[in-house]
Amino acid sequence: MTTNTPPVDVQVAEPAAPREDYLNCSKGIMSWLGTLDHKRIGLMYLIGVGIAFLCGGAFALLVRLHLWDPEGLLFTNQQYNQIFTLHGAFMVFLFVIPAIPGSLGNMVLPLMVGAKDVALPRLNLLSFYLWVTGALFAALAIILGGFDTGWTFYAPYSLYTDQAVITIGLGIFVLGFSSIFTGLNFIVTVHKLRAPGLTWFRLPLFVWALYATSLLQVLATPVLGITVLLVAFERLYHIGIFDPRLGGDPVLFEHFFWFYSHPAVYIMVLPAFGIISDLVTVHSRKPLFGYKLIAFSSLAIAIISFLVWGHHMFTSGQSTYAMFAFSFLTFFVAIPTAIKEFSWVATVWRGSVALNSPMLYTLAFLIIFAIGGLTGVILGALNVDLHLHDTYFVVAHFHYVMMGSIALAFFAGLHHWWPKMFGKMYNEFLAKIACVTIFIGFNATFLPQFIMGSRGMPRRYATYVPEYAPYHQASTIGAVVLGSGVALMVVYLIASLFTGKKAKENQWGGVTLDWRCPTPPPHLNFDDEPKVVHEVYDYSTLDYESLRRDAT
Amino acid sequence: MITYLIQDPQGASKEEAPPWADSPAPEIDAYGQLPKLASTFDHVDGLFYFTYAVCIFFFVIITGVLLYSAVAHRRKTWDQKPISNFTHNTPLEVIWTIIPLIIVMVMFAWGFKGALDMTTVPQAAKQNTYKASAKQWAWTFTYPDGTESYSEVWFEVNKPVHVITESQDVLHAFYLPSMRVKRDVVPGRFQSVWFEPTMKGDFHLFCAEYCGKSHSRMYSKVHVVDSATFASQPWNQVPEDDAPIEDRIAYGKQLWKGAGCYACHNITGIENTGPSWKAGPEGSPEMGLFTKNADGEIVGTQREVSENGEVTTITVDEDYIKESIAYPAKKIVWRGRYKVGGMPAANLSDDKLSCLIDFMKSLADN
Amino acid sequence: MSHDDHHAVTIPAPGPEFVDHEVAHHFNTPVQEFQALKLGFWLFLATEILLFGGLFAAYFYYHEMYPETFVLGGKQLDWKLGALNTSVLLLSSWTMVMGVRSAQTSQKKKTLIYLGITVLGAVIFMCIKYMEYSAKNEHGLIEFGHLFDGYNEATGQLPWFTDHDNVMASVPHGHMFFAIYLTMTAIHGIHVIIGAGLIIWIMFGTAKGRFHAGYFLPVDLVGLYWHLVDLIWIFLFPLLYLVP
Repeated sequence: MTTNTPPVDVQVAEPAAPREDYLNCSKGIMSWLGTLDHKRIGLMYLIGVGIAFLCGGAFALLVRLHLWDPEGLLFTNQQYNQIFTLHGAFMVFLFVIPAIPGSLGNMVLPLMVGAKDVALPRLNLLSFYLWVTGALFAALAIILGGFDTGWTFYAPYSLYTDQAVITIGLGIFVLGFSSIFTGLNFIVTVHKLRAPGLTWFRLPLFVWALYATSLLQVLATPVLGITVLLVAFERLYHIGIFDPRLGGDPVLFEHFFWFYSHPAVYIMVLPAFGIISDLVTVHSRKPLFGYKLIAFSSLAIAIISFLVWGHHMFTSGQSTYAMFAFSFLTFFVAIPTAIKEFSWVATVWRGSVALNSPMLYTLAFLIIFAIGGLTGVILGALNVDLHLHDTYFVVAHFHYVMMGSIALAFFAGLHHWWPKMFGKMYNEFLAKIACVTIFIGFNATFLPQFIMGSRGMPRRYATYVPEYAPYHQASTIGAVVLGSGVALMVVYLIASLFTGKKAKENQWGGVTLDWRCPTPPPHLNFDDEPKVVHEVYDYSTLDYESLRRDAT
Repeated sequence: MITYLIQDPQGASKEEAPPWADSPAPEIDAYGQLPKLASTFDHVDGLFYFTYAVCIFFFVIITGVLLYSAVAHRRKTWDQKPISNFTHNTPLEVIWTIIPLIIVMVMFAWGFKGALDMTTVPQAAKQNTYKASAKQWAWTFTYPDGTESYSEVWFEVNKPVHVITESQDVLHAFYLPSMRVKRDVVPGRFQSVWFEPTMKGDFHLFCAEYCGKSHSRMYSKVHVVDSATFASQPWNQVPEDDAPIEDRIAYGKQLWKGAGCYACHNITGIENTGPSWKAGPEGSPEMGLFTKNADGEIVGTQREVSENGEVTTITVDEDYIKESIAYPAKKIVWRGRYKVGGMPAANLSDDKLSCLIDFMKSLADN
Repeated sequence: MSHDDHHAVTIPAPGPEFVDHEVAHHFNTPVQEFQALKLGFWLFLATEILLFGGLFAAYFYYHEMYPETFVLGGKQLDWKLGALNTSVLLLSSWTMVMGVRSAQTSQKKKTLIYLGITVLGAVIFMCIKYMEYSAKNEHGLIEFGHLFDGYNEATGQLPWFTDHDNVMASVPHGHMFFAIYLTMTAIHGIHVIIGAGLIIWIMFGTAKGRFHAGYFLPVDLVGLYWHLVDLIWIFLFPLLYLVP
């Protein structure tokens, strides 16, 4: 690889015969179910997590509808408890954790590093089938009567309750391994399969983000695995480690659980940060502000995330030293996150800002994540948290981060890479409408929850004191609007597969390797092995000529 | 899915007025985000609003710059190049790292100091120690003099209070929003919490750690009163043996709700978690506790119970009721199976128990 | 250009009793494949360590909470059997290494012999484990027949911990030690069985001639797994058997 080698040209398709790509290169259901192609696996993940997201969203709508009435509109208390648990469990374990790495990550990571596939394609397929198995366990748990422990399964209630806890516990164990293997695969891919000339600091930030995420997946998820296993064993043969009747300590469960689940929230959010980093540069046509800082901040967040789990347990009677350490480090981890947010805004500033639907989702993310992140800072203060813990303030905070930020980043990435994945474009006008609807609906749902939370409304309540009714009702209306926006999005995205316009080769004018392969990519991604000679977001290399030809 | 419907056909809590039915809503403070502070923990409010203000400040800057740029620098032609290609600005990066760092360190220190205040029980409070015992799904309070009350508690204004919390079964949490007090109640441990009530009035006490079916109904009323009212022990007015029967029945009904019995034992004859205290309709498995015989006398019903694994038939009487409340696992009624560990014990003194039994007997009107 | 044009990279077999190894199509060189698989496997081993780490954490926590229970409980275990098991595993780790070496030097028969002895070691380990569990069963410290029988809240009795000889009567929560002992050794035992299964699979591959000086990575990696299984036992043994 010498510097004389010109960069890979973007190829323009001949209008005559349909080119062979990964979608049509082999036919039949078995060519999909047994595929080793990361792009097909990514698509199967997309369908799976999409269904899980819609189920989780349906549970959410049921929750919000029930809470219209202070005495509960639709369900008995027991049923409500099962429904909010299902909402949390489906969303966290079947959607938020696996979605971005499994679908967009699988689709795009090998393209971005210039590889033909991930390092371990069979393991990749296994990861997907483990996800499916976990989903089946979840479905089985519902059939067996559901579970009402909350997605956090706190002991000893999770040990005593007469529900399908072991079933869902095993499902989560299996899902954990799906997550571990995906992370493992990505780490090896980034280390060993980069194209010639692709040094670490020429990697797109989505890759950095997925790398940091993968480190967390590999190191943190096993602890969740052993935790659910121990809960299952406690229920089966009463070890006694979490059961106070047998000498156990329920707070130990909380430590075990949050030791994984705090890094887990970074497993959820770091890939979203990666998407935003890449989208913000492409759609401002401007190199990323502070590339190295953003890359390193992902690693810093990953490392510090192992040290803050106690901030979920400030009210459990911690020692002074524990409170000190956990609060201090929680504030500390806010700084790399703040740096990212400022850097993204600085990237947009004085760029060439395209206001297309991926960018609108990105802008929505930047606004909503500001609120989500800042309210996390409010919760990091020890004395304030003693008041706000387990209230709707926390619920609002994490929905701003998980739904408003992660899900919105997922939608942004979906819209951004949709043309690359399918070679088709969706209806841009409808996309903008959906984005605005989702933004308005989301804020209408969760802003009132901040207010009622700080006023004392506890969470996981099937019924409530009537003075909170206006906030609950406003939130319910918002949820319906949000749901409609999502529904619209699903409709036009699926419709685009059948009636969508043909996408351009380089739809957005990107310069990373994922936009230097054909659209949609062929089975082995690149026609010739790419050799990287330029810095990563160097838009001076953008071939305006071919973009112009593309545009006509 | 079918099991959803059978498990809890009519949540008992829906039959009765909610436990907060006659509790007033606390006043909200001047900024509208918190209930008016009724304790000395003003540092919570101070730091909360300070952080809020800082957040609004940064939010306005971020959103303002972003939206301005999105409009002013928007791409109008497909080949429009960016105005500038800057990727670094060291002074800016230093500022936006250092200033937030200083601010969060201030917040941390302020919060930590406040938490020390809230978790260190002062001597004055230790002289005034209550016990709050949580079980699924009601609170029992024990006063410094040993008296008890159920789902309702009285404190003296301006007198620091120390509450020792304990749980009889699962995790709960002791949450007084107006006092900014919250502590998890962990089975197997005693957790301490303290505060000084500074305002007379009625306040909410919620359970703030999910504990199962009636988690949201585990409500207690808090009354902060002056010392004269407190001295008259409003919680300890148990009707005498010779008091009018209506008063005794009414007190018994209060106990049914306050001591948490309502959550599993309804008074409507409908099948629920625990046996109903009233007989159900014809053919229903619910026998109720007492019934009227041919002569109109109130007699106990017959029921099958499992005692140490052996099934016998017993007649409900006062002794059986007292034994089952104090030692629920001794004689278990068939509920689909003989389930041990369903009911947490309740420690009721004899005078209260007799009012409760009068209430139970009042349900025997076929 | 379709993937038919892509020629496979192969590592040639050193002799007629072996077969060529075809490098997977998405790798460019055998070295890349080798490094990728090795890195991936080490990461997997890290997750296994973390999984057991959780169990060790639980052990340490309750050892702190109930020290007498753990000391007395440990005394009920037969340290001689434990030491025997330790030697068996150490020996089998040595035979495993010799097996890898034999594969590396393309000595098919020797590889099969060494791997076979390693599997034998696993079997002996599980037999000794069975003897230990039986002893616990007899003394009522872990009555396997009643393991899943449920907890009697009225009497506070655990049906599987009947403690016939009342050896744990003087310490609180005597069952806790045996429950943790069972959980840790059973999960470890499952890994021993998995390891033995992997070795048998490698033996089949060896018989077919797939592993030789040019390509013996799978033998190497299964060897690593076996060493991890051994290593975990090396920590379990002193903690459970020797600390008291």
